[in-house]
Amino acid sequence: MLDSLLSLGGLVLLRDSVEWEGRSLLKALVKKSALCGEQVHILGCEVSEEEFREGFDSDINNRLVYHDFFRDPLNWSKTEEALPGGPLGALRAICKRTDPGPVTIALDSLSWLLLHLPCTTLCQALHAVSHQDSCPGDSSPVGKVSVLGLLHEELHGPGPVGALSSLAQTEVTLGGTKGQASAHILCRRPRQRPTDQVDPTTHLTFNLHLSKKEREARDSLILPFQFSSEKQQALLRPRPGQATSHIFYEPDAYDDLDQEDPDDDLDI
Amino acid sequence: MAAVASCGSGAGSTGSAVATASKSNVTSFQRRGPRASGTNDSGPRLVSIAGTRPSVRNGQLLVSTGLPALDQLLGGGLAIGTVLLIEEDKYNIYSPLLFKCFLAEGIVNGHTLLVASAKEDPANILQELPAPLLDDNSKKEFDEDVYNHKTPESNIKMKIAWRYQLLPKMEIGPVSSRFGHYYDASKRIPQELIEASNWHGFFLPEKISSTLKVEPCSLTPGYIKLLQFIQNIISEEGFDGSNPQKKQRNVLRIGIQNLGSPLWGDDICCAENGSNSHSLTKFLYVLRGLLRTSLSACIITMPTHLIQNKAIIARVTNLSDIVIGLESFIGSERETNPLYKDYHGLIHIRQIPRLNNLICDESDVKDLAFKLKRKLFTIERLHLPPDLSDTVSRSSKQDLAESTKRLGPGCGMMAGGKKHLDF
Repeated sequence: MLDSLLSLGGLVLLRDSVEWEGRSLLKALVKKSALCGEQVHILGCEVSEEEFREGFDSDINNRLVYHDFFRDPLNWSKTEEALPGGPLGALRAICKRTDPGPVTIALDSLSWLLLHLPCTTLCQALHAVSHQDSCPGDSSPVGKVSVLGLLHEELHGPGPVGALSSLAQTEVTLGGTKGQASAHILCRRPRQRPTDQVDPTTHLTFNLHLSKKEREARDSLILPFQFSSEKQQALLRPRPGQATSHIFYEPDAYDDLDQEDPDDDLDI
Repeated sequence: MAAVASCGSGAGSTGSAVATASKSNVTSFQRRGPRASGTNDSGPRLVSIAGTRPSVRNGQLLVSTGLPALDQLLGGGLAIGTVLLIEEDKYNIYSPLLFKCFLAEGIVNGHTLLVASAKEDPANILQELPAPLLDDNSKKEFDEDVYNHKTPESNIKMKIAWRYQLLPKMEIGPVSSRFGHYYDASKRIPQELIEASNWHGFFLPEKISSTLKVEPCSLTPGYIKLLQFIQNIISEEGFDGSNPQKKQRNVLRIGIQNLGSPLWGDDICCAENGSNSHSLTKFLYVLRGLLRTSLSACIITMPTHLIQNKAIIARVTNLSDIVIGLESFIGSERETNPLYKDYHGLIHIRQIPRLNNLICDESDVKDLAFKLKRKLFTIERLHLPPDLSDTVSRSSKQDLAESTKRLGPGCGMMAGGKKHLDF
């Protein structure tokens, strides 16, 4: 299940609530990405770094790149390691990286960002980050970007939640009954091309193919009204009185241009 | 037809700038005498632009929307100078298809395109347009030999149907003379058609690099830039008749995707009383002014299900000309309703304009459903399934009766109330 969530890329929205918390799912996805060898960036805004790193092994902890916005969100201590531009600046800096390879960015949490930033700015930044890999013609081949965002549903009205879910590729809503947690997953796949049609001549009890000899025999068969090529050319040459014909056909509303099988609605 | 076309261009009337808007034209009644001198300017002449035709109802010049079924429902097509607003379905699956059919129709007819989006690059949108359906109905019967069927050249040696060897093939060239084409949603448009067309793209993240300070009660920067872009294109390429063109007049098709979504910088989808909640309505008002004074038609898709303030939706509907709502069955409880099992969603035609008219041309069919077959997008009237079997239980008949209560009188007379009457 975790694989399928991460494979699509784009924005993965984890919606949790007070009863069913989602940070553990976020950490599980982070762990999975780290084990796959992807670069993992974490924007920690809601809980402290120690609390987030709790539960990870040391090798995973070494792979995580943690950007801490919990301890000093407004940069009052004015240290050099503070990133300019706040969380959005950090997101854009991750965007501009030049090394290829898949990247996973975990936002903990989107609710914190929504409370501090206007919703439209956040949506535009998320869209820019998560769709970076889909623009062709870029100079540097950029790998797939997955953005995992944790959103606490109860903190926001239907507006921001609806706006973010319309941007998301995948949406996981955590719920459950009586101690049993469940996740409802909604995937918006870009419309897939239809697969090639299955060849209907396989798995038949009779033979529909022609062998080479049979094909030669068929080709050499003389058909009625199949004249010699000289006579054909003579008949085809336009006679002096005959004008060349043009066909202009415009189907009207009653013409059925659907070349699909007309019997596909039969209920056999 | 000439009289119909020239009547529409009175001063201040909408659309229909078919006859050249020359300054010497005082009256709209023109003598239809023989043009012996073959005038090339001065005096209105019936200009026929590819891909347009006058409406039989009110004389407006119409362009096709790309779906002939939809054209029929709208009274022949989309009038030039008007806005077609599509309210997107919840997961935005079918509205991009309508958007792309409109643009593909423009390419096939040789119109100029203007594609604006904040989500996808317009070049990518153009790559994904559906391919026009080649009309080879008459060729189907003659192709008996399977090898000849595969080769596309017209001078191939046909074995059985050799008399038809030199018959000219019917194709859709770069500029087609037909009004309204069918599109194959499973294939992409050939690259040559895109390259032969004239298009302009507006991709918002490229045009706006930094966030600007917005004063209240004005347009968001994204909308201002888009309006300036549209106005530039219209005046530069002469769609508003500003520079009298010697060459053939053409129509500008404008397509704006996902207008009103947060990616345009507009917060009507996020908050109920945002800081600039009039931005979208002002944009539509200015856009309609631009369209009415030029030879252009516009399609806009809008995620109205996300707009929090219902009053804005009502205002947006009033400011547009044709409004069509798509409601898909995915994820809703209607998916399992046996009434809807053949279809993918419902189409609601919410508004049809009254252009130079006192009444509008509404069709009497109000229950419409759409279905995306493998290739085609079809719009059909919603029919009740036939009540054939006696063993169908009463409860399922009750369900059908319930759901048909909502339908208009145009549907079958079968189930009118809760009780199912047996005769």
